[in-house]
Amino acid sequence: MAVASSLLSTPVTHGHDDADQLYIETRELRVQGFLLFMVSDLVLFSSFIFAYLYLRNTGQGWPPPGAPHVDIWLAAMNSVVLFGSGATMHFALENWKHRNFMKFASWMVATIVLGLLFLGGQGVEYVSLYTKDHASWGGSGIFGASFFTLTGMHGFHVFVGVIYLTVLLLQATAGTYTFSKYTGLTLGTLYWHFVDVIWVVLFSIFYLL
Amino acid sequence: MDHTIVVERTIAIVFGIVVLVTALVALKNDWKTPGLENHIFKLMLALLALGGLLGTLAGIGIIGKA
Repeated sequence: MAVASSLLSTPVTHGHDDADQLYIETRELRVQGFLLFMVSDLVLFSSFIFAYLYLRNTGQGWPPPGAPHVDIWLAAMNSVVLFGSGATMHFALENWKHRNFMKFASWMVATIVLGLLFLGGQGVEYVSLYTKDHASWGGSGIFGASFFTLTGMHGFHVFVGVIYLTVLLLQATAGTYTFSKYTGLTLGTLYWHFVDVIWVVLFSIFYLL
Repeated sequence: MDHTIVVERTIAIVFGIVVLVTALVALKNDWKTPGLENHIFKLMLALLALGGLLGTLAGIGIIGKA
């Protein structure tokens, strides 16, 4: 009897309301889960970065003999291209929040193009190092191994990010996200900013210090 | 100076300043937004501004190994 009365007193909800409630309840969990993934990625990068810094500070001299000469101007240009993509990604999300789909799509395309330009620049740098300095992952000592491992791993993240953003753009175009429910876009923006920030560190340790 | 280097340095300086200003303005606009992800966004924007600054200084030739 008590169960029946409680069921009768429960307000009738539509499927739409249930979906909204589920979205609100799981949103924070999804954001936290994604942040945990980013922390794990940060640990991965930190291990390699600290290994590089340790090797650098325990060696006889730095750079070691035979280390390839990296091109700071190309790297600086390539870096600001990637940092610029962080700014365009920020504009994309802001325009989505302001319910302007066309501007959102334009900024997303700009972000993807800048990401691809960064990858192209990195490819040019690798080819230049390989042809001019005969530097390779295995054949250029501690510096080369650290440099190609870290920048290669970061480049892979950028590559994955470009695919990720392309999928997000296609999903947004297909109507997967609404102007009130767009956690996926927020997480994509977080990922892209993360990739940018990692490059700030890599740019500093390989080209500036 | 090699023409390619001039182009690379110019892009680094101009884009670096654009990124620096954009990130700082975005940071200022988002400063009071609540929520975990927004706090992370602010941290990321601050580091992005740092990146823009480093790119600009490297392009000018103040920092970095040329």
